[in-house]
Amino acid sequence: MASRRLAHDVAIVAMGCTPFRDHWHSSADDLLVDAVRECVASQPRLTLDDVDAFWVGTQGSGMSGQTLARPLRLVGKPVTRVENYCATGSEALRNAAFAVASGAYDMVMATGVEKLKDSSYSGLSAVFPPADGTDVDWTAPAGFSLLAPAYQRAYGVDARDMRSALTKVATKNHANGALNERAQFRKAVSAEAVERSPRIAGDLGVLDCSGVSDGAAAAVLVRAEDAYRYTDKPIFLRGMGFVAGSGAGLAADGYDFTTFPEVVEAARQAYEQAGITDPATEISLAEVHDCFTPTEVVLMEDLGFSARGKAWRDILDGRYDLGGALPVNTDGGLKSFGHPIGATGLRMVFECFTQLRGEAGARQVPDARVAVAQNLGGQPGSCVAFVAVLGSER
Amino acid sequence: MELKENPAPMHEQHGIDAYAAYLPAYALDDNRIDATGPPRAGGPVRGVAAFDEDSITMAVEALRHIAAGTLTDRHLLLATTSAPYQGKTSATVVHEAVGLDPGISAVDLHGHRSGAVALDTVLRTGAMAALADVRTTRPGAPDELAQGDAAAAYVGGGTRAAVLLARTGRTVELLERWRLPGERHDRVWDERFTAEVLAEAGLDVARRALTEAGRDGVDHVVVSSSNARCAAALRRALGGTGQDAAVERLTGFTGAAHPGLLLAATLDEAEPGQHILLLSVTEGADAFVLRVGDQVRAARGGPSVRAQLDPRHRLGYGRYLRWRGLLDVQGPARPAAPAPAAPPMHRRAGWKYRLEGSRCTACDTVTTPPSRVCARCGVVAASAEPTTTVSLRDRTAQVVSSTRDHLTTMPEPEVAIVVADVDGGGRLSAYATDVDPADVVVGMSMTPTFRRLWTTDAIHNYFWKLRPRKDTLDGQ
Repeated sequence: MASRRLAHDVAIVAMGCTPFRDHWHSSADDLLVDAVRECVASQPRLTLDDVDAFWVGTQGSGMSGQTLARPLRLVGKPVTRVENYCATGSEALRNAAFAVASGAYDMVMATGVEKLKDSSYSGLSAVFPPADGTDVDWTAPAGFSLLAPAYQRAYGVDARDMRSALTKVATKNHANGALNERAQFRKAVSAEAVERSPRIAGDLGVLDCSGVSDGAAAAVLVRAEDAYRYTDKPIFLRGMGFVAGSGAGLAADGYDFTTFPEVVEAARQAYEQAGITDPATEISLAEVHDCFTPTEVVLMEDLGFSARGKAWRDILDGRYDLGGALPVNTDGGLKSFGHPIGATGLRMVFECFTQLRGEAGARQVPDARVAVAQNLGGQPGSCVAFVAVLGSER
Repeated sequence: MELKENPAPMHEQHGIDAYAAYLPAYALDDNRIDATGPPRAGGPVRGVAAFDEDSITMAVEALRHIAAGTLTDRHLLLATTSAPYQGKTSATVVHEAVGLDPGISAVDLHGHRSGAVALDTVLRTGAMAALADVRTTRPGAPDELAQGDAAAAYVGGGTRAAVLLARTGRTVELLERWRLPGERHDRVWDERFTAEVLAEAGLDVARRALTEAGRDGVDHVVVSSSNARCAAALRRALGGTGQDAAVERLTGFTGAAHPGLLLAATLDEAEPGQHILLLSVTEGADAFVLRVGDQVRAARGGPSVRAQLDPRHRLGYGRYLRWRGLLDVQGPARPAAPAPAAPPMHRRAGWKYRLEGSRCTACDTVTTPPSRVCARCGVVAASAEPTTTVSLRDRTAQVVSSTRDHLTTMPEPEVAIVVADVDGGGRLSAYATDVDPADVVVGMSMTPTFRRLWTTDAIHNYFWKLRPRKDTLDGQ
């Protein structure tokens, strides 16, 4: 199976990201304009006119490329709207990268946006095509909560240890988010608060769930050889894998809810392209899809950071803390930074970009050189998954 | 041209070939809104259909207990006073879920007397019938606990369970129990007046039926009446033992299902060769004299009425009111579950109504929902219709993982959702039902049950859920 490094190396030269929060007074248009403005303004040698083509990712906050073309009043430019569940922002980045790597364009922009708070609903909302009515009307936390009992059973983890690991994921990510002025929740939370929060699905409480928020993010990509014309600290896309799962995990027996096979394969592709042979030691930091606390536990194993059945222990031991051997979700993650679907994948890359440039301030990981951004959508057994390896060197 | 009657040949015996009863898993024995002390001891108990049950789902559950080979090729009748649809035939949903041949017709019979008429049709023409009803009164109505929900299924075309010896009927137009279209609850006329009229009709048809059957007496007198006072009077007058009344005190009067339910309870315990007088007295009267068949034990599908009465869950009155929509409770900040659409429901009827997955011809894997491409090996079926389908609805499944949705749009604070592997292949993601969500655990054995998932935009969405397997109730 061919999944190769791009014909041309690709670099990210500028990024922007709005704060993720309840933007009651901003529309999706406003958020896109804010993210794009910040992105373009961050590099003095860059203008919006230089961008040849655009991608915009959104799950439900706009239709067609006009989602971006209209608020920016782009004239005569191609804009592509993409959607891939919660990996929508990553998908915008991926397709934009292909466009410069192919030589079709010299400079492209990937954007992502979501406006979730304008509905009166507390979770995610989506419009699905007409159907036969036989699907379970899952909430997202219900689908992901299946991971915890299955993981416990598979590895003999008792309820108290599992709960502690989940709680640690939440407290760690909130502690990181407290250091980040763009995060939705800027307050550390106690273990007691996590465990006493109202139940949502299974054993998951409100504080096991990612923040529902509004936000947008943007990135400008060029071929690597052009990158230093715009910035002296470009970030290089060294590997990228994406898998849309077949859904077999829910359609046939066998899948055991202790892993995301789609993530494992996407990571394999990305690592191979990037020359990563031992992710547990070669990666400086990782942004992962902590939509719900058990997701992060399982991802530590799927990404090769922890041995199978050991992630819960490594999490409790502080391996993934900001000061640990492999800091994970240094910006707060979906958990405290928030999760506006179409923007999340790009928000993760924004943190990698910031860290690899040494600009993360109080949460800076010392000597950060290689970062992983991992993003997924759907549910265990039937998901889409993205993994990218980013580096400060080409 | 001379018109000539063409009576059935005298040697042909009419009767019941198979039967089954379905009682919901819940019972209500207390309807005090402000309960400060214990409930009245020994008072009536009513069976309560769960929030995801209605006369269609209960009819399916009763009929599917009867072996498929027994189902005949005449008509399917659904007798009820609580059809989930008006205008649209509800029996067609039952027909589809039971998996009947498309050549078999399906029709709804409405009204209190429809149960007796459906039984008559079964007995005399070899049709099959489901008698099913959900009975709801205004909260606090005097007979609230005396009404109940249940279903019974009967198949004619043979005499394994019973032989029909005589049948008489009388129609009486009487304002006894009624409701206007769109109303939820029956209105009731003073039952001292209606009891008198109905009892007279009942005695008349009973005596004529016994005479026609050439019998002075019977072993079992079974009286079903929408009027409790009338039923009591007839049981006394006809020398009944009161076993039928004892069942009724545990189920409530189950409307159109009631003559079928009481007959099933009697057949469960009657000995071959014994005689039964079944009297259904509502909007007139219908009497049947039956001789219990030699194969009555084999003719029963599923558990007996008594076996279903014992393990019921006791239901609190508040929960009952919420299930019935009689108490408007704040739900979660979530949109209503989506309404299904007609074309995909029609295209996937095998999956939706009969729980059929596709079996791969190459690797034997069962894919659910059925798919042209095997979920495991990727072999592509040549046509849009899966070539090999397998029904999972009568199999047992083991829970692989489970969760509890605390933000459910159903009238419950939480519902359990499970992923379960079906014995023999196939995987189901389904709501668990008839179980406390806290009691659902990995490894639990569950069996499919046909339920109404939700109703959105006036479309009832029927599909299968999973309930805990009970060795005492499941299987033949």
